[in-house]
Amino acid sequence: MRIQETMSMYDKLNILSDAAKYDVACTSSGTSRSGDGTGMGSCEQTGICHSFGADGRCISLLKILFTNECIYDCKYCINRRNNDVPRTSFTPEEVCTLTMEFYRRNYIEGLFLSSGILKSPDYTMELIYATLFKLRKECNFQGYIHVKAIPGANQELVRRVGFLADRMSVNLELPTAESLKLLAPHKTRKNILAPMRLVQNGMAENKYEIQAYRNAPRFVPAGQSTQMIIGATPESDYQIMQVAESLYQKFDLKRVFYSAFIHVNEDATLPARTDEGPPLLREHRLYQADWLLRYYQFEAAELLSEEHPNFNVLLDPKCNWALKHLEQFPVEVNRADYKMLLRVPGIGYKSAGRIVKARRLGTLGFQDLKKIGVVLKRALYFITCSGRMMYPTKIEEDYITRNLLDTKEKLPDGITGMTYRQLSLFDDMRFGSAGAVSLR
Amino acid sequence: MKTIYICTDTVTGIFSGIYDAWKAEGEEDTCGIALRGALEQQLFCDYVETVETEHKAVVVETMIKKNLGRPAYWDIYHAALAADAGKGDAILGTMLAARRIRDSRKIMEHLSHPAVEKVFELSRTVGGEAHAFKGFLRFRELVNGVLFAEITPKNQVLTCLAPHFADRLPQENWMIYDNAHKTFVVHEAGKKWVLGLNEQLDIDAVHNISDREREYARLWKGFFHTISIESRESRSRQLQHLPLRFQKNMVEFNH
Repeated sequence: MRIQETMSMYDKLNILSDAAKYDVACTSSGTSRSGDGTGMGSCEQTGICHSFGADGRCISLLKILFTNECIYDCKYCINRRNNDVPRTSFTPEEVCTLTMEFYRRNYIEGLFLSSGILKSPDYTMELIYATLFKLRKECNFQGYIHVKAIPGANQELVRRVGFLADRMSVNLELPTAESLKLLAPHKTRKNILAPMRLVQNGMAENKYEIQAYRNAPRFVPAGQSTQMIIGATPESDYQIMQVAESLYQKFDLKRVFYSAFIHVNEDATLPARTDEGPPLLREHRLYQADWLLRYYQFEAAELLSEEHPNFNVLLDPKCNWALKHLEQFPVEVNRADYKMLLRVPGIGYKSAGRIVKARRLGTLGFQDLKKIGVVLKRALYFITCSGRMMYPTKIEEDYITRNLLDTKEKLPDGITGMTYRQLSLFDDMRFGSAGAVSLR
Repeated sequence: MKTIYICTDTVTGIFSGIYDAWKAEGEEDTCGIALRGALEQQLFCDYVETVETEHKAVVVETMIKKNLGRPAYWDIYHAALAADAGKGDAILGTMLAARRIRDSRKIMEHLSHPAVEKVFELSRTVGGEAHAFKGFLRFRELVNGVLFAEITPKNQVLTCLAPHFADRLPQENWMIYDNAHKTFVVHEAGKKWVLGLNEQLDIDAVHNISDREREYARLWKGFFHTISIESRESRSRQLQHLPLRFQKNMVEFNH
């Protein structure tokens, strides 16, 4: 369908938000900035959720595409050039008006601007730059801006956009270069990693500039993120976690997002359509493991291996790890070091921090741990307080597994895939990989 | 004999009560703070009405900041805003406990003390609700150009929200009305915000909105519906993050 020049604002917003919704990142965190008193807007370090959609996902930013026209033909994408969908584009003015008017009503925390590729990567990036420039300099907007760097765009353009945005992201799209070649024939791994490296270097340089000149402009202060689609291609969880780990280590990313593959197109190269819906449980397990990497000092190789390449569907990755390393438990809460506390199921990083502080002022008992926020029904198999366990329990893999499964993990609502099933003599609850395979 | 100081459910009230108790050199078992209206009479207690003054409140505030540090003050301040009848006692108990540990500034880490634990818990609840309203609050533009928002919080979070919005919308005239506690904050463009107590709202005036305002509300509602992914829909997950009590004042949930 051709661009309709006379389309109403409502229809445009409808089309261009509908086209942007498959992008996962909607966080507004990572930077803190007060308003300067003359314009509009500020940023909070933790980010702020402004609403939650019918799918239970947070709505924090006005998430739109600049245009849904695209010269590329990525098989998984609703905006691929071969799809016959209504196409339209915003003008920079329209994006600015929408952002400012939504922002002052406190609907949103800022703008998330992505785009299809109109004419060429450079042309698109210039339009994005023009929009952000207008928003920052003419409208004096000081709220949060998350923008996509377009792979293949001119380096200087990407750099200039980086000085206007809070967060930049380049989508990795798929975990491996082979998958990318198969499903996104116009994109290459090299083209995706190049702007990622550019942003990383830009941030590193900027750090020195800010030290030298306090008022130097900030380059992508909230860091960069990326996302990849899970379940469209046959990578194992182990491969995915390794990719994520190396992105954190080598590219200094703030976040890696995982997006359960959703069927929007029919294509021979995509997995067959099933009734199960997107692999939400798998996505959930990956996010859990991702937290273990970022906040719990775990390494991907500790959680998974070539022999066990997929997460256990029945247990979260941390419990799973603990059950395989029972020789390190139980740990004494009043003495164990912070790093070991982090590894106890039921103790989060916040509780671990509180434990370390509180035990300086007295010996902690199980009641104190409860107040601190430790989930005792999980932790009780792995800890002692002053040398005693909470109840007499066996330190035995089968026994603990059975009990942990009985307590029912609190999964986010709406995630299915772990349903009640008929018991059979041959079920073996301990082997997660078998279960994970059946998920696909 | 225990002396209980009765005060109103405001920060000034509670701090004034604490001032009097502190002056009388009370200990945990000889003094307490109770809120007017939420009082359960006990035997063998003296009940004293606190004379509330700004001066007493400022003295207590300075004392807490000086001896316990700013982070602890913020926990105590937040606890004083909570919807809880025992908050006065918890705050007083925390302050008394702080005298007995070596470094008073670490008092909020002393979570095995029941009063400290309670202040910590209350502070977390109030901070959490205030944070939620920073996102869930909705302004509408009235015909006279003023941005108006109405909220129905459990705790008295207005004074936590006002600095946030004053920083964010310095050049706007706006007003937030707390329907649960009948209080409001008003901010005039370029000036400082002010808190008003015990005011009735002019219902007609706050529903007088322009066509332009209706159009932006419609755009936002449209966006709100399209941004959700159908195959991931889950009403319960939405409710988990955004309970019904918030939804009633949010434009996207009003059809």
